[in-house]
Amino acid sequence: MIAAPLAEVIEELADIEDRMERFEFIFDLAEDILALPIEAWTDENRVKGCQSQAHLEVRLQDGHVHLRGGADARLVQGLMGLLALGMHGQPLEVARAMTVDHIKEAGVLNSLTPSRSNGVRTMFDMITQELEAMSHGE
Amino acid sequence: MINASDFPILSRKVNGKRLVYLDNAATTQKPQVVIDAMNRYYTNSNANVHRAVHTLAGEATDGYEACRTSLKAWFNAPRVVLTSGTTEAINLVAHGWGRANLKEGDAIVLTEMEHHSDIVPWQMLSKERGVELRYVPVLEDMTLDMDAYTASLPGAKLVCVVHTSNVLGVRNPVERIIEQAHASGARVLLDAAQGAPHTRIDVTELDVDFLAVSAHKMLGPTGIGCLTVKEDAFAEMAPFMGGGDMIDQVTVEGSTYQENEHKFEAGTPRIAEAIGWKAAMDYLEQVDLDAEHHRLLGIARWTAEALRNLGCTVYGRHDDMDSAVVSFLHPALHAEDMAHLLDAQGFAVRTGHHCAQPLLHRLGISSTVRASFYLYNTMEEAEGLVEALSHVLERFGGSA
Repeated sequence: MIAAPLAEVIEELADIEDRMERFEFIFDLAEDILALPIEAWTDENRVKGCQSQAHLEVRLQDGHVHLRGGADARLVQGLMGLLALGMHGQPLEVARAMTVDHIKEAGVLNSLTPSRSNGVRTMFDMITQELEAMSHGE
Repeated sequence: MINASDFPILSRKVNGKRLVYLDNAATTQKPQVVIDAMNRYYTNSNANVHRAVHTLAGEATDGYEACRTSLKAWFNAPRVVLTSGTTEAINLVAHGWGRANLKEGDAIVLTEMEHHSDIVPWQMLSKERGVELRYVPVLEDMTLDMDAYTASLPGAKLVCVVHTSNVLGVRNPVERIIEQAHASGARVLLDAAQGAPHTRIDVTELDVDFLAVSAHKMLGPTGIGCLTVKEDAFAEMAPFMGGGDMIDQVTVEGSTYQENEHKFEAGTPRIAEAIGWKAAMDYLEQVDLDAEHHRLLGIARWTAEALRNLGCTVYGRHDDMDSAVVSFLHPALHAEDMAHLLDAQGFAVRTGHHCAQPLLHRLGISSTVRASFYLYNTMEEAEGLVEALSHVLERFGGSA
């Protein structure tokens, strides 16, 4: 069962046919992730493979996932917002219910295959690996 | 101008809009004659080359070698080794010539304008052999610092320079570079991946030792390219890949190698690709490249000016011999965002560091948007790009 805020957004996206409108919508989600201040951007939290500068921090706080992020490209920041809607403040099992298919439903990326132009997949894999480690108590 | 209808892919739609393909510096589209030639080979003549005597093998061999003959004529080259592309051609020089001729204390001159393919093989060789690498800086006007180049030559055995920059479109003064290098006793390798599609290069007239080219940037298929080599440089090269087509005799004690270019083409070669490339060269033979160069440069200059008027910074100078590449950034929108939004309107442009990170570092940026024009592109498409970008900037916070 995915987080309610993510489910709502996916429902709204389903009604948007125009691709430019989808971009507008995703760009607006940039506000939905807590900002990771630039001074906290480290090589450790850098999203590798992203064309833009993108940094993401994943923590477990009182049994709930805590996400902060920042990117210089608005699309990447917006997709971070989408991830936050599915994961931030959620218990681990709810956060882990979000899959890469939910990013596909945003309908703004031509490919979610790992590649040099596609740090978003790397970003997703980075979070899921961390969540996996957290679920094993590492 | 050529007929865009020769290129079937150009009639498709992308995101509901007519495709405007402006990523030609990455790869060009293929005319139907290239697709047909490759199809015909697999449909009628598929066989391995050089060894068998049956009819199909003869047809395949003739088709493969016809590509080499065509390239020798096109580049006026005494030797043409078929490779997988420019990158492999450069690696062939590094391994085939560099290992045999360079030792600790020797120097190689590179430039900050190089594609990673013309940097990394030399860094690897440098690490292995203790060869010194000297980089010629790029100046504010986006040209090479020729004084620094002159100063870098003493003791250098090889100069590796990009003919035309894939980011800036700047065509380097290769005639002067070669002349000075030879006077100093250094051989020269030109990375002509971007130069060869836009201008006819005569390697004998240029007196260049090695020239690396990719087919797919000049209407041919991916997976094939070539290295042209001067006779005396060819004699200094040793094979670095063994097996298959490159041998003369093999015994358990040792092997002897072919004397000709086959020595550097180990294994079953790229037969269909060679046949496709030959068809592309035949197609290009019908094109007035000089006239096309001027037409495309005119489009690039107009685009650069229009983009500046939209508040973009354009990287490049678009001098008479430069290629039709327009790299740009806008302060209000990240390059990656811009490329996505243009794609939504049917425009295929490139973003990123374009495999030239040292150059972008010198320019103080990490990426650009790049529109690169080729034979089938039109002024109307450039106008469409500027209009689409203007629309994007208006809608997404820029100052159009």
